[in-house]
Amino acid sequence: MLKTLLTLGLIGLLAAALLSSVHLATRDRIASEQQRQALATLNQLVPESGYDNELIEDRFSAWISGLSSPSTIYRARMESEPVALLADVTTPDGYSGDIRLLVGIEPDGEVIGVRILEHRETPGLGDKIELKRTDWLRQFTGKSLGAPPAEAWAADRRGGAFDTLSSATITSAAVIGAVRNVLAWYSANRDNAFELEAQSSASSSGSEDKGKQ
Amino acid sequence: MKSGNLEIWRQGLWDNNPGLVQLLGLCPLLAVTGTAVNGLGLGLATLFVLVISNLAVSAMRGVIRPEIRIPVFVLVIATLVTVVDLVMQAWFSSLSQTLGIFIPLIVTNCTILGRAEAFASRRPIGDALVDGLAQGTGFAAVLIVLGAGRELIGHGTLMADAHLLLGDWAHTLEITFLPQQTGLLLAVLPPGAFIGLGLMVAARNRIIRSRAERTEAAAQTHPQAA
Repeated sequence: MLKTLLTLGLIGLLAAALLSSVHLATRDRIASEQQRQALATLNQLVPESGYDNELIEDRFSAWISGLSSPSTIYRARMESEPVALLADVTTPDGYSGDIRLLVGIEPDGEVIGVRILEHRETPGLGDKIELKRTDWLRQFTGKSLGAPPAEAWAADRRGGAFDTLSSATITSAAVIGAVRNVLAWYSANRDNAFELEAQSSASSSGSEDKGKQ
Repeated sequence: MKSGNLEIWRQGLWDNNPGLVQLLGLCPLLAVTGTAVNGLGLGLATLFVLVISNLAVSAMRGVIRPEIRIPVFVLVIATLVTVVDLVMQAWFSSLSQTLGIFIPLIVTNCTILGRAEAFASRRPIGDALVDGLAQGTGFAAVLIVLGAGRELIGHGTLMADAHLLLGDWAHTLEITFLPQQTGLLLAVLPPGAFIGLGLMVAARNRIIRSRAERTEAAAQTHPQAA
């Protein structure tokens, strides 16, 4: 009986030792890979040649109404002049829960582009928000909160100015609403959005330093 | 030995196929077979974990008392899956982005626990290796066929997004049969998975029955004289 217990305990210890050594061996690499992927996503909206600041570090948290809090805002600058603002936001209004997306805005409030980062929408219907499936997401480029007017920022199935994905009105409306909320937040905070001090958290900076190229 | 291996392969691929006969691992099987590529991805990941867990369980079979075998198997499988997940995130991050969601799902696959219990814990390492390969291939084959069928009917394409899994050359594998948005949506949604799997099981039973009828008919026309 005691021997059985010892065997089980020993195997448990072995498993724990294996897991923690694998975790230690991969931790830094995973962190730097994630950093690289985050930067690669940001670079889809703002090309690497378009800014000269440390984009990943130049960020702060923002509380945007209508979106899950807090959102992370990144700022791209060229010779200290604002180039673009990138908002990593999550909307709770998707058909199957959260949709996480990245909204790029020019300093004058015009949308550079939108990218979907995570979602669980219905395969074949709602997942057409992904850029690799359809071009639906491109309709936001060049739009701003004045053009079309704020009340027209809705799915056309609901009387707005934006295309609706067929059989995915809720998904479409969630994405359109999220972009609108980001634009509304920006227009209310336009004066200080590029002035706020960066608050990249000190706690995670250890692994991030190693991730820098 | 050779014929023993052949028998293990027969069991895994047809006679005792984990997807069609044992009906094990239905949770991941039904959840991710929306496309052929997803099926292939989960199939490969499951095959890999199944082989390693069979090897590990077989190697430990002398030390493990029957009373604690289930917790030990669960521990071994969960540890292996976590290791695979971490290693993929670190060194194959693009593959892990496509396969990432499937990896934790492997823990819920009863095929792996089932093979550890029914086979690997009683047989030498060589047999356990062959069994892992055979059962894993049989499971992957069901995933790919079901995924391809659902994708073909639901989206009108085959092997779409193969490049995410296999690299850029795989764009050439994509075939589009139907114009956009004309597929039968039911096939892609969860009910389509149950219907598709049911049809596959039925087809297998039909083949077995017609084969049995044929042998019976042959036995009647040629009574065993000699």
